[in-house]
Amino acid sequence: MIPDVVAFVVLGLLAISVVLSVIRAFKGPTAGNSAVAGDLIFFVFIGAVAVLGVMLPIEAVMDIILISALLGFLSVLSLARLIQGGKR
Amino acid sequence: MSAEMVITVLGSSLLILGAAIMASAAYGLIKLPDVYTRTSAVGTAAGLGVALMILGVVVIDFSVLNLIKGIVAIVAQLVTSAIGSFVLARASYMTGSKPVNTTIPDELADQAGRSST
Repeated sequence: MIPDVVAFVVLGLLAISVVLSVIRAFKGPTAGNSAVAGDLIFFVFIGAVAVLGVMLPIEAVMDIILISALLGFLSVLSLARLIQGGKR
Repeated sequence: MSAEMVITVLGSSLLILGAAIMASAAYGLIKLPDVYTRTSAVGTAAGLGVALMILGVVVIDFSVLNLIKGIVAIVAQLVTSAIGSFVLARASYMTGSKPVNTTIPDELADQAGRSST
């Protein structure tokens, strides 16, 4: 277990990260910028799951983190393919 | 200090450090001038931040199975965040995003068939 102050600080920092990323994703100016912002939002999601797994009595948290870290880059690969318009 | 307090302080420090590194990546996403520097900020800082946060969770909830899962997740995170940022930067370059003016030697310009200005 971690103290509540630590959980608030960590989740607050992650929330600030998500807000800044969403601002960048809407401002653009190209699709690549939005894809980078989406990438960071996914990483922040992994961190938030880690913190919530420490706070709550859930057993499968390390499995969720492991699967996310192993398969998360597939979304980035498909986004890059989408930006390029199908060309390699 | 008991051992439990040492574990709590160490794990909390790792969690806060990882979250602060990720917040710095988001700040760079707002402040940096072009898509390549933003990709660099996200690929390095977010990969390191997630690795530190996973390490913090392993320190707090320690068991041998969690240690194995955590090591595999950290290695996969470091490798795949590098691959993801490389592929995104390559896609941006292929679709013609201009780097910022201070990027002086654009060595890929000949291969991509663009002028180097």
